[in-house]
Amino acid sequence: MTVRGTVLEAERLLVGYAGAPVCGEITVSVAAGEVLGVVGFNGAGKSTAARTLAGRQVPISGDVKVHGLLANPDAVPFRREVSAVFDEDLFFPSLTVREHLLLVARGHSLPEPEASVEEELTFFGLHARADVVPESLSSGQRRRTLLAAGLMRPASLLILDEPEQRLDPVMREALGRRIRTMADNGTAVVLVTHDPQLLRDTASSCLVIDDEVTLGAPDAGAAIIAGSR
Amino acid sequence: MTALAEPHPAVDRAEEIVRFTRWSARRYNRARTSLPDLFVDVYVSVLALGCAAALAVSFVLALRGEFAKRATSDGGLITDPVFVLPSQALEMMLTFTALAAVVVLSRRLGPLALGGPESAWWLSLPLDRRPMVWGPYLRRTALSGAGAAAVYAPFSILTALERSPLTHAYAAATFGAAVAAVIGIAGLLQERPGAVGLKVAAGVVVAGGAVGAALVPSIWTAGAAVVLAVLLVALVSPRAGLVPGSELARAGAVSGHVGASFYFMDTNELLRAVRAENRAAHRRGSRFFARPSRRPFAALLRADIVAFVRLHPLPTTAVLWLVACAAVMMVDGGLPLFAQLAVLGIAGCAASSGFGAVARRAALVPELDGLVPVSAALVRTSRAFMPAVVMTLWMILLGAVLVVLGAAGPMLILLTGLAGIGMGAGTVRGATRPSTDWSAPPVETPFGPVPRAQLASLMRGVDVTVLSLMPVLLTLYLGAVALPVLLVQGVISVVVFLVVAMTNPHDKASA
Repeated sequence: MTVRGTVLEAERLLVGYAGAPVCGEITVSVAAGEVLGVVGFNGAGKSTAARTLAGRQVPISGDVKVHGLLANPDAVPFRREVSAVFDEDLFFPSLTVREHLLLVARGHSLPEPEASVEEELTFFGLHARADVVPESLSSGQRRRTLLAAGLMRPASLLILDEPEQRLDPVMREALGRRIRTMADNGTAVVLVTHDPQLLRDTASSCLVIDDEVTLGAPDAGAAIIAGSR
Repeated sequence: MTALAEPHPAVDRAEEIVRFTRWSARRYNRARTSLPDLFVDVYVSVLALGCAAALAVSFVLALRGEFAKRATSDGGLITDPVFVLPSQALEMMLTFTALAAVVVLSRRLGPLALGGPESAWWLSLPLDRRPMVWGPYLRRTALSGAGAAAVYAPFSILTALERSPLTHAYAAATFGAAVAAVIGIAGLLQERPGAVGLKVAAGVVVAGGAVGAALVPSIWTAGAAVVLAVLLVALVSPRAGLVPGSELARAGAVSGHVGASFYFMDTNELLRAVRAENRAAHRRGSRFFARPSRRPFAALLRADIVAFVRLHPLPTTAVLWLVACAAVMMVDGGLPLFAQLAVLGIAGCAASSGFGAVARRAALVPELDGLVPVSAALVRTSRAFMPAVVMTLWMILLGAVLVVLGAAGPMLILLTGLAGIGMGAGTVRGATRPSTDWSAPPVETPFGPVPRAQLASLMRGVDVTVLSLMPVLLTLYLGAVALPVLLVQGVISVVVFLVVAMTNPHDKASA
């Protein structure tokens, strides 16, 4: 494996709302090819941390840097480098699944957008529902569409917030393999999850978020998830 | 036929992404709309608009005739005011207030905004955002300007009887262009929210627009306002793509909320949508809240009081309504009596509705009512306490102003104070009104189908507020406070308060 540079850095990062932190300070760095698992109890601040790392929320203090530059979702290069999938069930009511994906493919100037869309539809098992509007999809299928949009575009940093939610076990396993492949190809991944198996299958390190934030091995994180059930 | 089988427009750049989204949406909508349905929709819309316009025009003309007659007869409630306000000053003040409201509202609603799906799917693309927001912004500004001009025309006709039709047109054009100009400034403020110069410019445009439209409307004021509006909108053009994505998404969320409230005719939802959060007031009353309470009701009341002072940091709107009432009484020549009474009624309803934020918030989470072991009636009593106290104070101030102006004797202050209790309770009744049953078959009206019980739902709260105001309005009409009226006022206010406390808003029989 070649030595790869740091993609994401957070130094003494404090996240929260209206000046009130939701968890302890986060100091972490994620290199290309690394998958950082993020675990914690409900309300520990995992999603808030993920949103802050993705530049969608302003930190109370501390900095987030991507490729050495401050995270700024209004900067075109940042948007080109960072792909983030959160549980946002928002779709154009009159665009089909295929058109949603095509929009992302064209927006990111993929060389063969139609072919890329076909690949994602196949991977996520959405072919049969490709030409229907999201209103006609099940909750799990909508989740698959969001994941397809997040994973099909090129990015050096991928942030996923509980991607296993609403997915069946087979799809979860396939998603784990896909994340691992993307990491092997050089993508840095931040994976917020409640699934110990997904964590074990993909993560190279694990951030446990609570009043204190600690960095450890994926197995330790998986044990914490299992203990919280 | 699948989307891929058809020729897609190229979508390599932002403009094409926008075009692609709109093209797909249009195709989808066309496929689901039949020609007869479209014809019926257009027919009903045109008919409803025509009816509304005809009613509005005849109403304005009738009022104009009434005002013209009034101009030659005696004054309104105040026969000999201690201070006389020139009628043009009132007109200018109202125009100024309307333009100031446009500034505040346009900042809340954007004006540059992206709706939920656009925010989720467009903002993450590594593309220039200008083509995504510029078109809708331009459309919004032009429509707002045109709409404002259309609304201002009858106002000008009613308030300046001596003007020629052409001067009314100039006044309307000046106002419409001033609205477009302040929306332009609001757009610039989105990119630079802290720019003091822009805020000062907004103030200057509001003041200038008010003077131009209300005092000296001419082709020059209209022309200057149009040029200014075009200039400001042109300044927004290159900066539209620089507005932060979070601001575009926020504005889109508020605009969508407001749009949905209008669509469902839900005034409570509308007030929730346009209300700005004041984070500075979030810690207000902490010490008072921390004090121990011996009884559950005391704890609940304490919580409602603290919530009230946090959600109503400044009574700006209520004070403005009070000033408006005083101004209407002092205007030179006097407005017709019924118009003055109507202004008092509208001001009372608006002021009391403004104090319903706690009840409106609490209504979203009915489980809150069950947190403390007290009866539902006591929960509603606690929720109505602060609105009743504040409305009593507001009405006492209004009564004092009217007494100073010579509308009636000092006992009027006691009467208005009593009325405030019932009006405060009405605030809670309005804030907790149940949603309209949209599943019930609609009632056909000249304006198209209206949902059953919609009117009753809209009137809930206003009904008891107006009822509580009736003795005050009667007293003002008579010009003297009669003891029986005072007693009746007391009884009405107490009964209204008790009815609000005892009525379960979710009980269909009582609703």
